[in-house]
Amino acid sequence: MTGPTAGASSSLTSTRGHGWAAHLREGGTTPWAAWTGEAYADGPLPGAEQLELLRRLNETGEVGPDLADRVQTTSAPGRGRRGLPLRGDGPPPAYGVAPVDPADLPAEELMRTAGLLLAEDLVAGLCDPEPRYRWRRRLRTRYRLVGDRWITGPLRDELVRKGRPQGGRGMTVYVVGAPLDELLTHVWTARCFGQGAIAFAPWLARARREDELGPRGDLRRIAGWWADRVGRERVEIVLDPSELPTLLGVGGRMPGPPRLAADAVEVARRVGPLLGLLVEPEEKARLLRRALLPRLRRAAAPGAAGPALAVPADDLDWVTERALTLRDGLLADGYAVHGDPDLLLPRERSGAAPAATPDPGGALALMLRLLVDGPRRSLS
Amino acid sequence: MTKRVLLHVGTPKTGTTYLQDVLFRNRERLVGHGICYPADRFDAHFLAALDLMKLPWGGLEAESLGAWERLAAAVRDAPDGSTVIVSHEILAHASRQQADAALASFGEGCEVHLLLSVRDLARQIPAEWQENVKHRSTLTYARFLARIQDPARDSQVGSWFWAVQELPDILDRWGHRLPPEQIHLITVPPAGSDRTLLWKRFSNAFGLDGLELDLRGERANPSLGVPETALLRRINLKANGVVAPADYRPLVRELLAHRVLSQRRGSPRLALPPDVAPWVEQLSRRWVEELRSRRYDVVGSLDELVGVTGDPTAYADPDRPRPRQVAAASVDVIEALLVENARARHEERRLHGELAELRDAYHRLEESRLQRRIYLRLERSLAGRVLLRVYRVVRGRSSRAA
Repeated sequence: MTGPTAGASSSLTSTRGHGWAAHLREGGTTPWAAWTGEAYADGPLPGAEQLELLRRLNETGEVGPDLADRVQTTSAPGRGRRGLPLRGDGPPPAYGVAPVDPADLPAEELMRTAGLLLAEDLVAGLCDPEPRYRWRRRLRTRYRLVGDRWITGPLRDELVRKGRPQGGRGMTVYVVGAPLDELLTHVWTARCFGQGAIAFAPWLARARREDELGPRGDLRRIAGWWADRVGRERVEIVLDPSELPTLLGVGGRMPGPPRLAADAVEVARRVGPLLGLLVEPEEKARLLRRALLPRLRRAAAPGAAGPALAVPADDLDWVTERALTLRDGLLADGYAVHGDPDLLLPRERSGAAPAATPDPGGALALMLRLLVDGPRRSLS
Repeated sequence: MTKRVLLHVGTPKTGTTYLQDVLFRNRERLVGHGICYPADRFDAHFLAALDLMKLPWGGLEAESLGAWERLAAAVRDAPDGSTVIVSHEILAHASRQQADAALASFGEGCEVHLLLSVRDLARQIPAEWQENVKHRSTLTYARFLARIQDPARDSQVGSWFWAVQELPDILDRWGHRLPPEQIHLITVPPAGSDRTLLWKRFSNAFGLDGLELDLRGERANPSLGVPETALLRRINLKANGVVAPADYRPLVRELLAHRVLSQRRGSPRLALPPDVAPWVEQLSRRWVEELRSRRYDVVGSLDELVGVTGDPTAYADPDRPRPRQVAAASVDVIEALLVENARARHEERRLHGELAELRDAYHRLEESRLQRRIYLRLERSLAGRVLLRVYRVVRGRSSRAA
């Protein structure tokens, strides 16, 4: 390019900002407010949000030069502030966004760049293989699993591996449910790992405001849809998952739903749309389920990385009311029900098992850990 | 001999849609004059801009994948000595790093000229609010103004507005590696000017003077008056929860806003509130002073950036529109919806008719298939053939056709 006059803006002056950037590139963790050293400007300074992200990554673990470089050259995607100047690094600029102390930046702003970098890692790393069978059993139970997708997804995968894919003439449709509060968290979680979702609190608030369980949470609507197609006598409700192996004609234990901390689900919610900026929708769905989910399961089981997602106590009365309506509706419709119909009601919560809604700070910490671990290089 | 890249990065609401429409429709004619506008669809550069800035935009992400690289490749592949035009106003939003990456992606051996079409803030501020409303926003004008005046700029509205409208900052981000003579500002003439003047300025800046071009504008982004914008905001309040984004665009934005409300004449126009006007004027004068000091090439006059604020007593507040004016606009909207509904009903009836015909044809085909299957099966056995003969005798036909 002959046009641009390279380096026109990078004067050979020494600044505190460039000193801090150099310190961070070497793995430093000193906050901006405590930093005093200077260095020569070797180009435009990355935004305060990028530098603070690098500092937090350094605090989390060892950051390789590649990652440090990517952090400093990747602008936050989407709308919102970017390229923020550092407060106290020379006179404030006459134009552009106001300078900030990076320590004051909310986790949401740091997660924009972190999420994009993590999405890039997922694209570059390995995925769990899609489940396949060697041969399909001829004498298998014909079934279809619908309902709680967070429960049915792993079950379907396992059944495929056993040579028992769903479908087939004369199949029975099993509508798999769970206590309604758990079912709602499963619906939202499945959306985060699928087409995307708004934050959990407004999502739940909207469901409550509209007094609607939504197309994925309303088991009665799901059962009715299938009853119209295959006949009511071939639709059964499964509320006790321990009955599923017998119903499906398989031996041994079947996998349960993936258990994740609430913050891990929030990571998926934020990374999903950013993956959509890098790959086609089908590939995005595959990467969320087969690359991000396994990494989160290892890094963020409930307990180790914070409590599991749960409906807040304030909403439980509404959920119980809806669960009673759902239970009565399913019984009135005359479906066969496996398990006690009262299993639809929220379980009693013990004080020993804390449950929570996602916290941006926790989600950022998890993103940082995954970024420091780097792209997935093996399928262990 | 180097090629020239004319990179037009904004700003929104400065006649860019018309310019891009003319460039797209005349792209083959332009090639004959050594000018390349590389686009296979009218919104190709918009998709490229989304891709460059990793900007989600109402589900267009999948379509924008790789779009910037395709555009950059077209620039790199353009023959030496040619002129390549890249134009989209949302490029004004790019960060400095994204702007650097964009310039680097054009490769060696090209002379980049940065173009920025600019209009006074006194018109841009209400226009941006209106554009927000046309994109489902329910924000009142007062709240919009408060957000853009917040120095923290940490709201979506504030950060976007200044990213695409703060001229010295846009030019810092995009032009910090370019000499001033390669940066060109095209000012939008004041209201009431000759309607062709803006195009003349574009034509001059883009080197299109003297070319025979089809200047009919098929696409435009027309503006609305005060009661029309107020009505649209109220429609958003009601409709956002029930009209899906995919339906909003054709029904609300295209039909109601562009085809009905923007055609209404005589309504008061959106303007700056009298209490905000002095702040805007002061800011505009500071910008003009700054831009003048940078010695860019200016097509038009920088003085036009200090907008004219109207008579404060005539100010019409879109947050408190005259009920009679809103009611009149509402009636126009109802009429348009009835006409559209009638059209949809006619179309539905026509499709039902087509469907019934197709169903009949399908059933006839199924029947003849069944007859043929039965015939073939009967033909295979002696008993079947006897049965067929009996059937034909009974029917009184001698044909062997089934």
